[in-house]
Amino acid sequence: MDSNVNPLAVILVYFDSKGDRLLYRYPYQTLGQEVATEEQRKYRKRNPFAVVQTDDLLQTTATATNSTSSGQLQGFADEVLSALFAVKPQLCNQKFELKLNDVRFVSHPTLIPHKEQRPSNASKQQMLINIVFALHAQASYSIVKCYHELSKRLGLALKFEEQRSGYLTEQTGQMARTHDEQSQEQKPLEQTFELIAERCSLAQALKSIFHDLCTTGLLSTSLNHNLTLCFCLPAKAHQLHKKGSMVDPETIARCLRALKPYHGMLLLVDFAELLDCVPPTGARMLWQLVDAYNPLISLQSMASNADLSIEHVYKLVSHLVYWAKATIIYPLCETNVYVIAPDAPLHTKSHLVEKFSARFAGMSLFEVISDFSLPTSIGHLTTPLQQPARQGILAQMVLWMLQHHLLMQLHTYVQFMPNDDDDEFADSASCTAQRHSDADELDDQIEDNLHGGSVFSVSSQPLPVPSIGLTIGQRRTISENHSSLASASDNIVVQASSSHKSNFSMTASLSTDNCDSLDSMEDEQKLKELLLVFTDADRAAIRRIPASLNVDDLSLLVKLYQMGYFKSEHHLEEIMYFENLRRSQLLQLLDKFRDVLIIYETEDPAIASMYNNK
Amino acid sequence: MHSHAKDGSINVGGSHEGKIRCIFLSEFHATAGCKISCQVPDNYISKEVFDAINVYIIPKQHLQRCILTVNAMDVKIVGYPVGIQDQQKYARNAFLFNLCFVCDSRARSVQYEPVVKKLSEYLIMMEEESSILSREDNKVRLQNIFETVLRDLNERKVATIVEGDNTIYLKIVMHKPDPPAVKDHMVPLLLANLRDTPLENWDLTTQQILPYINGINHVARIAAEADVETDLVKSCIQNLVYYGVVQLLPILKYGNVYMTQNLKHLIQSSELSNACRKYVALNPDKMLPSVQRIFQFYASMTHGVTLRAICQRLCPQNHNIDERKMVIFGLQHKFIRCIHKYPVFTGSVPSGRQKMYTGLISFDEICCKTGLSPCTIERDIEKDTNVTVIWK
Repeated sequence: MDSNVNPLAVILVYFDSKGDRLLYRYPYQTLGQEVATEEQRKYRKRNPFAVVQTDDLLQTTATATNSTSSGQLQGFADEVLSALFAVKPQLCNQKFELKLNDVRFVSHPTLIPHKEQRPSNASKQQMLINIVFALHAQASYSIVKCYHELSKRLGLALKFEEQRSGYLTEQTGQMARTHDEQSQEQKPLEQTFELIAERCSLAQALKSIFHDLCTTGLLSTSLNHNLTLCFCLPAKAHQLHKKGSMVDPETIARCLRALKPYHGMLLLVDFAELLDCVPPTGARMLWQLVDAYNPLISLQSMASNADLSIEHVYKLVSHLVYWAKATIIYPLCETNVYVIAPDAPLHTKSHLVEKFSARFAGMSLFEVISDFSLPTSIGHLTTPLQQPARQGILAQMVLWMLQHHLLMQLHTYVQFMPNDDDDEFADSASCTAQRHSDADELDDQIEDNLHGGSVFSVSSQPLPVPSIGLTIGQRRTISENHSSLASASDNIVVQASSSHKSNFSMTASLSTDNCDSLDSMEDEQKLKELLLVFTDADRAAIRRIPASLNVDDLSLLVKLYQMGYFKSEHHLEEIMYFENLRRSQLLQLLDKFRDVLIIYETEDPAIASMYNNK
Repeated sequence: MHSHAKDGSINVGGSHEGKIRCIFLSEFHATAGCKISCQVPDNYISKEVFDAINVYIIPKQHLQRCILTVNAMDVKIVGYPVGIQDQQKYARNAFLFNLCFVCDSRARSVQYEPVVKKLSEYLIMMEEESSILSREDNKVRLQNIFETVLRDLNERKVATIVEGDNTIYLKIVMHKPDPPAVKDHMVPLLLANLRDTPLENWDLTTQQILPYINGINHVARIAAEADVETDLVKSCIQNLVYYGVVQLLPILKYGNVYMTQNLKHLIQSSELSNACRKYVALNPDKMLPSVQRIFQFYASMTHGVTLRAICQRLCPQNHNIDERKMVIFGLQHKFIRCIHKYPVFTGSVPSGRQKMYTGLISFDEICCKTGLSPCTIERDIEKDTNVTVIWK
């Protein structure tokens, strides 16, 4: 999978009225087959697991290509390639893709008018320049798209330089002359290409582009010492931080579309490295942002500190994320709940272990991260009795682990769902008469009676036996410490589960009792109006909750409900941000109405999409 | 959503499986040059497009008998250029032709390559026998063949055509990523729609193990019960995974911890929630469990809460919910994922079982490999100060 990202070669084909010519390619050894066959043996999609091979189509292709490779098709001759890529004018200035056996060629053929030497020359001669990238056939669509984009940009840059100073005419002329003189002396092709690379800055640029693509996926090349071309191959660049992960541009785009003002940014590299990804002329705004950078604050605050508009900050952050220089987080704070990421490369041979102990002297990565086996916040790992420095170090460690995608943040989501046994999908009408959401057992007994079951059978139902369905060798009894862990986590997580009782509802019901009778008349009216937004069944369920008699509570609930915050789409932090609520306010409300709300923890899907790339 | 893109072959990296839009035969005519001699449906590839790309349809001699795909001008054309040398028969001593399949420019086309090649080989054979391609009056026959191939391959992925003395057999074989290695502790789950396939359609080993695949038994147990060697069972199941017949799940224990992900899909799609209600019902004759109950059950799954704890709290069986099916359904549709436990040895020199505590081998796998009960391992780890446990 990894090697599919790297290009096999880069080819420069030139075509004008005098004919087509392959001017330069890199690497120099005969292109195509040698590299491809070796790779193809390794990566050929064959199914070695088939028990019966009913259809040997794939197998026959494999042998066929191999036989041709040892025969006449010992690599594609340069003449063949140049003829193929000197495309007809109809195909110019658009994507061109050609697949030959196991090599995929992608390019953006560009028509460039010659810089007019004499203004009198009316007939404008055009030349075609085609910078082709040869890739593995298995390279995915998004990788191909990136290479196409690169070819397109190179074409545009060359067009610009040609118009400015006739750069392309000069360079291609030089290359063609070198070819001619070398072929007269019967020199091998490799030497010719080497000589070209020495003489022509365009060839050097292509060579360095090829190397950059193979190593980092980030390139910043200047053409003709004038125009800087920056490009990032995300599939490659994002591997630098996490080996083996394939982040395609679509995933990044999806993550960035979900960007909100309350999100924060976490830089993955040093400040100095940031400048790689922007041409020097565009760096001013970036510095402005970097000056205000702080992983503890939201993009919104960063924008106001840096005196930039939030749209500009979005653009800059998107750019940094695309270039694998930054990642999106929720601003670090004490209440954030973190847990070990499912794909964290945590094993004894991991290079991260040493990197961690080098960064934080004397600390073991495993010991620190094992605290996050259960969802934990920084606030819970520190106590006020400890020195404040300890908290600072812990925050640093959390940031480090977030940078390396070892930790993932969990958020709390809310789903409005009256706990009511008849719902819109019910296919049995017999139970619609009964609504006892607060007395589940009673409900079940009635249901059972309706269906002819016995009351006793329900109440005497045994608890589930933990050993069902396991073999003798594998019988797993659950040790006591599991359940103690479970209860511990209930305490740790502030807003754990729906069974978590607190005494807020008590105070709420007391306060409603104290109301004046006059007020209560008005309130009654208001409550009725508020409840109109719910369907009949939902209204009944809400009515049973004592807090629904409190106008303030109910109006807040109705407001949030109408805003669509209770559809599992928005986490608490988002609701707090957009509705300007304090955490305690929101938690109290959720607790009062816990009978109609289901609260659960999960990851933010936008941010998680950058993770689960196993 | 991301996980869906990964397992389904429908949407891989922004491209998609596309149907064959058109099949055409192009030839190098002795007087007219490159042209399309037969096309189904007619005029799908216009003259302008063909003129722009005909270099790649009838290429130079070195590129003959290569699978050549060209993607330009919003069409993707998969071809296999061929030249038949015969000095007596043909005006230019050779007959050059190319049978091409056309797809949308964004569609994947690898799966058609062997088919194009095979059909070309048939056509070469028929041309040598009966000049089906080079003689004008045979065009109707060719047209009929192409129409059948296009229709059958798009609809059924298989086409069988009897044409004179020849029978053409074509089949589209999908390319899929290699299936992951199957391990002893994994549990295969047969996907529902394939249960009805008659047993005798499978190979012998599969026939023998199939009755034991129930979403509960793990691989080692299936091997023991079916009396088949474990390695054989593994490769057999791997094969079934490759073809999408079987899905691998983690072993179900009441001490397991699960975590929700993308749970909102369950309520957003009423189709899915109804399927879930049917699937998880303990007794299908009683009233199906409500979406609310099911959602509540899933929602209570989080780090540090074992399945047992949830069952004790919510008593799913009182609500006609089979918690085991619930877990299977959740894993299958990726609403939940299992949080595995990995012991890591942090001391200097590991000895004995400690060698297994690398952080790469999960607790389940260690139990399966050593044949020891989880209890023993648990105690072992507890005592050892050099071992840290990581849940992820």
